Amino acid sequence: MPIRRYLRKAYTSFGTHIYDIPPRMFAFLSLILFSLLPLFNLPTTMLQPLISLNFITVLAVSWDFLVRSGQASLGHAIFFGIGAYGTALIFKYLGWQPLISIPLGVLSGVGIAFLIGFPCLRVKGPYFAIVTFAFPVVMTGIVKYFPELGKDAGIKNLPRIFPTLTYTQRWLAEYYLSFALMVLSAVIIYKIAYSKTGITFVSILDDDLAAKACGINVSKYRIMAFVISGLFASLAGGIAAHSDLFQRRASPTFLSSTYSFVPIIVSVLGGMGTIYGPLVGAYIYTFLDSFILKSIFKIDDFTRTLIFTVIVVILLLKWPRGIGRTIVEKLEDLEKPREIEEIEKEKR
Amino acid sequence: MIDIIILGTISGIIYAFIALGFSLIYGVSGVVNLTHGAFFMIGAYIFGNLYKLLTYSIPSEFSHLTPIVALLATAIITGIIGCIYYRLTLHQVLGDEVTILIVSLFGCIIFQQIVYLIMGPVWAAQYPIPTIISETFTLWNVNIEIDRLIAAIVSLTSFIGLWIFTVKTRVGTAIRALSQDLEAAMLMGVSIEKMYILVAGIAAGLASIASVLKISAYSEPASILMWVEYMAYSFSIVILGGLGSLKGTLIGGLIFGYVYAIIESRFPQAGSLMPIAPFIIMILILVARPKGLFGKRIEME
Repeated sequence: MPIRRYLRKAYTSFGTHIYDIPPRMFAFLSLILFSLLPLFNLPTTMLQPLISLNFITVLAVSWDFLVRSGQASLGHAIFFGIGAYGTALIFKYLGWQPLISIPLGVLSGVGIAFLIGFPCLRVKGPYFAIVTFAFPVVMTGIVKYFPELGKDAGIKNLPRIFPTLTYTQRWLAEYYLSFALMVLSAVIIYKIAYSKTGITFVSILDDDLAAKACGINVSKYRIMAFVISGLFASLAGGIAAHSDLFQRRASPTFLSSTYSFVPIIVSVLGGMGTIYGPLVGAYIYTFLDSFILKSIFKIDDFTRTLIFTVIVVILLLKWPRGIGRTIVEKLEDLEKPREIEEIEKEKR
Repeated sequence: MIDIIILGTISGIIYAFIALGFSLIYGVSGVVNLTHGAFFMIGAYIFGNLYKLLTYSIPSEFSHLTPIVALLATAIITGIIGCIYYRLTLHQVLGDEVTILIVSLFGCIIFQQIVYLIMGPVWAAQYPIPTIISETFTLWNVNIEIDRLIAAIVSLTSFIGLWIFTVKTRVGTAIRALSQDLEAAMLMGVSIEKMYILVAGIAAGLASIASVLKISAYSEPASILMWVEYMAYSFSIVILGGLGSLKGTLIGGLIFGYVYAIIESRFPQAGSLMPIAPFIIMILILVARPKGLFGKRIEME
């Protein structure tokens, strides 16, 4: 019985890998907390930042994955925008419903990632960053030029993914959809990043010449990182374009620099290059930004952006490890003394 | 044809001057200072404010000196801001490419938001810079605007001035030494910190002059988002001409000017696609020749 064996394996891995290791226990507890949180009749104004938090996390995690392969992109919004515009165009001209159009939009995102990735192989370091910075700007110009792409207004009136729900239920459904997307993509990207393939990516980050000398096909792995990162970011874009949070339209907002910079802010807050760092950073960012600075201190958008940019620059200069990584290291330190004591007891 | 050559040369020299500061800082310290774009924006705003202030305070018999005084003061103020910014942020993370990129990009956003907070939302979106001379003259059936010509002459003079500074003076020699061999220069008693800060200041000052010349000559309003476009200009020109060489920057700027003149005169329907032209050119240049048209890094000559 493969199912029974799989369940037993899942249970034993739960027992040993989640219960015993403090960071995983922490992650598991917060997973339960945030999947139960919306059930306590949260007002919509509190639910909206949480939904946008989920989309930002997907972007940030996929950006961080790209950084781990040595490609620090400054224009991650391109994938978010392409996912949104791809699904929207398929709906507008072919009339296909979200369940078909979103996967096809993601496919178009992957195709664009392929197309962009090949020329980007030639450039490295700062040049790569500059080229990726230019992509969303060029894409915005193209989108605003052609009337088929809706110009400034974008492609409006996309259908809802769950059409037959009441107002509150709709927000709840949107939250759970984005939460599931976030958890799934975070887990999958984490698994890839810490697998054997992921270690290959880090070797390219450290020294691509040495990696090449070890027989690693650097070009293949760089394209692979690009495509995986683009896949999750465009999936987030496709789902976001159908959500009420983004007014159910694919607009140039998706390509704006906000969605290139917020993933970077979030990753630096949490700790760059760790995958779990952006996750922690996204929650810290949203709670500081939407719940404390916006609702309590009533600070306007521009000042909040200024505050966060200054925080990120100071963090990068003085404390590049980030908050998430420090928390995880503290949690791992918790279990270390206990292990040593147990070993010493056994010796006695 | 003649119009493309004349107008292309004039605008090409101005474009080259836009990239000059970036080329200098990149050639000497190897730092990709993306914040350089923000200094164009800051320069334009400081000049606009100073010009308004000076027109009221300078006595009327010296009123023709107002633009010159305002321009020099702008260059000095922006230069000082550039020095302080460089010392506080980028100098601490020298050698770490990814951190420098992110810090310098976020520096642009910090400056952008500060200008927004000071100037208010209306002027942040569009800030008109006064046009100083608005006359034209005709040469071989080509209408040339006098202020563009003056801007090109000032740009060329600054080029020659910077060249004399790097070749003839002691400080310039030290800067060239740093770009050629860092450790040997340090052994000869050149202080990296002082020289890099000086170069950052000069680059920021040149950027502010360039932006004021470009904006007032082409009568475009300044905005807080203009740093994106100017960053693209300077980056593509520097890559086109070869890293860190004054001659290469001039050639790159001229090529850029001719390309723009051809696009403007032959494809007028491009219209709203024009703002993204520098980015497309930049992507094409970088992807086609990742190390620039003239091969690898050339030392400051």
